[in-house]
Amino acid sequence: MVTDVGHAQRVIIGTRDEESSGGVLTEVGLVTWRSLVKLTRTPVLLFFSLFMPLIWLVMFSQTFGTVFSSATSGGLPGGPAATPLPYDYVAVLLPGITVMTAIQSASQSGFGMVADLESGFMDKFFVAPIRRSSVLAGKLLADGLRMAAQAGIILGIAAILTLFGWRIPFATGVMGAVLIMLLAAAFGVAFSGLSNTVALRTKNTESTMMVSFSLTFPLLFLSTAMLPKALLPSWVQSFSTVNPVSYMADAARALILTGFDWTAIGNAFLAILAFGIVLNGLAIMAFRAQGK
Amino acid sequence: MSAAVTLRPEAKKKAAMSRASKDSVIDVQHLVKVYGGRGQEEIKAVNDVSFSVGEGEFFGFLGPNGAGKTTVIRIITTLLAKTSGSVHVAGLDVERDGLDIRRMIGYTGQSIGVDGELTGRENLWLIGRLYHMPKSLVDERVEELLEVLQLKDAADRRAYTYSGGMRRRLDLGAGLVHHPRVLFLDEPTTGLDPQTRAAVWEYLRRLHREEKMTIFLTTQYMEEADQLCQRIAIIDLGKIVAEGSPAELKAAIGADIITVRITRDEAFEQSRNRALEIARTVSGVSRASIFDEGVSAYTADGGATLLEVLRRLDAEKVPVHQVALAHPTLDEVFLQHTGRQMRVEEVKPMSRSFGRRRR
Repeated sequence: MVTDVGHAQRVIIGTRDEESSGGVLTEVGLVTWRSLVKLTRTPVLLFFSLFMPLIWLVMFSQTFGTVFSSATSGGLPGGPAATPLPYDYVAVLLPGITVMTAIQSASQSGFGMVADLESGFMDKFFVAPIRRSSVLAGKLLADGLRMAAQAGIILGIAAILTLFGWRIPFATGVMGAVLIMLLAAAFGVAFSGLSNTVALRTKNTESTMMVSFSLTFPLLFLSTAMLPKALLPSWVQSFSTVNPVSYMADAARALILTGFDWTAIGNAFLAILAFGIVLNGLAIMAFRAQGK
Repeated sequence: MSAAVTLRPEAKKKAAMSRASKDSVIDVQHLVKVYGGRGQEEIKAVNDVSFSVGEGEFFGFLGPNGAGKTTVIRIITTLLAKTSGSVHVAGLDVERDGLDIRRMIGYTGQSIGVDGELTGRENLWLIGRLYHMPKSLVDERVEELLEVLQLKDAADRRAYTYSGGMRRRLDLGAGLVHHPRVLFLDEPTTGLDPQTRAAVWEYLRRLHREEKMTIFLTTQYMEEADQLCQRIAIIDLGKIVAEGSPAELKAAIGADIITVRITRDEAFEQSRNRALEIARTVSGVSRASIFDEGVSAYTADGGATLLEVLRRLDAEKVPVHQVALAHPTLDEVFLQHTGRQMRVEEVKPMSRSFGRRRR
């Protein structure tokens, strides 16, 4: 191990220019790469993160399908009174399930953070000559890719179900599906901010789990994710208008049932942007405060 | 190759500054770290610590758990913010030039920060790339390290399958991928078995000898500091209580220690006091004191003085139960400076997660 130390010093200093431009992307890319490799090496986790949503998709749509169709036999309340709806409840529920999956993954986002802080691996990132923001960005990018893939798989399985007579219109086809994947990823990344903030502040997996999980269900059920707004009780309707989950669900539902509703899609991205900035802002502050 | 050095003007200035600050690579002045505050109880983990480490020096921070070792090392490596004082690495300020400092240092923490889901090779590769080393250079360096650290056979196995010693070696490797100028090691052998500890020591000696690397190490093992370090600072309760080479520190105590245990009988107290008086009058004894079982005397020439002490005790009929002559160790140095025996507490694997918050 007779190595010229001075040589290496020079090489490292010589790459400074790279850091200002391509360097950041390399940093983010490396962190993302690491997260994704870890993910693919725990296939069991990957499987079960999809298992629950799929169970929901199948069971909920079966259990509540008949209730839904009898409630809507004369069309949706407030909508044009007409013939029974040309789709099954599963088509209404599908966007809700994609949101649910994204939330579920988002609430786990902080776990990795806690694990890295505890194991001391985070120190490796912090002591390397990289920006702290690259670490967070890389992690969120990996989360986003995972969430998009999960949404894609759920939509794919739903598409297969249509072959067995389940009535899901897929009004916007593949383009719409890609848009839903994008929405789910953006939504999930925005929501990750909460989990990461709690994780960084408490450094405790249980607390992170409790906060995220206790919010997941109220947010889902007090929104239009499970049922269209018209079928919700009035107080839930009023709450759902301030619940970002609703905007995401409405946009995705329109893409599946009717078509490109750009107002709904625009609103969804605005809602995601708004609470994404707040939650991830908190996470960034918590991340910067490490070691202070 | 020296012509290829491309320093920015700013970096040139800094380099000039670092030369100006008298050859010390690490310079810490009046460092204070207070934890808590804002309603919580304030704890002064580091209380006015000053020291400096020269280029190519192997320097050790020796102290018990909670002495403030980890806090100091985390502040120097930019992982933790200081409360007050000044800390410079190669003339660069830890607060202002954190990024530049991180580029030239390596750090191996107390908790083994390897990613268990990644293979050994991937762990090293990732770290190398994070230091913006070109891909080809990283590949080359990773192979070299795997070879040296004897991890070649396990290189493609995921790190969670590694033994404790292998993980420690891998972690050490992660701190070395980019050829750091200064290497920081926070209790690198805590929790290792004796063989692995010896192997790590040997490797650190080689790094210091062959690569002329400046190494800053914290330890709670006297033997480790004695074996490896050229200079030691003993830290206790957030303060440096003694500093010097192991030999200097031991010499300051007096070369040898004579321990006389007095027979336990009804006249024990009396005999012990008598023995103390005698010991103090024997020529060559620099200092003598009583302890629970007898008397200890410090002397420059143990052999000759021991005989004289025994002769006098015998003449005075002091009942001697046992006599011992010992060369001082750092244990005695610690005892002398802190008034306490240093107790080593092993960090249990379970509490590792809390280790990072230890002061």
